[in-house]
Amino acid sequence: MAQAVQKFVAKVPTLVGAAVNYSKPRLATFWYYARVELVPPTPAEIPKAISGVQDLLKGFQSGRLGQTTVRDALRNGLVATEVLMWFYIGEIIGKRGLIGYDV
Amino acid sequence: MVPPVQVSPLIKTARWSALLIGLIYGKQRYDYLKPIAAEEKRIEEEEKKLREEQERIYKQLSEGL
Repeated sequence: MAQAVQKFVAKVPTLVGAAVNYSKPRLATFWYYARVELVPPTPAEIPKAISGVQDLLKGFQSGRLGQTTVRDALRNGLVATEVLMWFYIGEIIGKRGLIGYDV
Repeated sequence: MVPPVQVSPLIKTARWSALLIGLIYGKQRYDYLKPIAAEEKRIEEEEKKLREEQERIYKQLSEGL
């Protein structure tokens, strides 16, 4: 038993090295996309976001939204679901626990 | 590789404000639930003490017989 533990402990640096080698290129691709797609909005973009909301409201009032194709509607629904999930991720961070409140 | 897509500012603001609101909501709900849970734990402790006291008395009586 002790010998097996020793052999495992001796292998840990190789395992760590292999894990780093595996994850480096994947981390690089992640950063490549995240640096453009996942960044928070700059202060200059916030008025554009507000005008986007106003566009949505006007489209709803004029009935233009009724003309969206099912495909576009599904796509927008997926985007809206993703935005909703960010709320739950924020809640996880705020309650400092993955599942349930640790009271 | 596919070039990264330019996300619309509306979606970006919506995402990060959702994150912020979720953070605040989680923190506030945790602060609200914590004293309630502490109170319940305290009450449970007292009732447990009472119950164990009664069990002890019951056992003593039944052994005395």
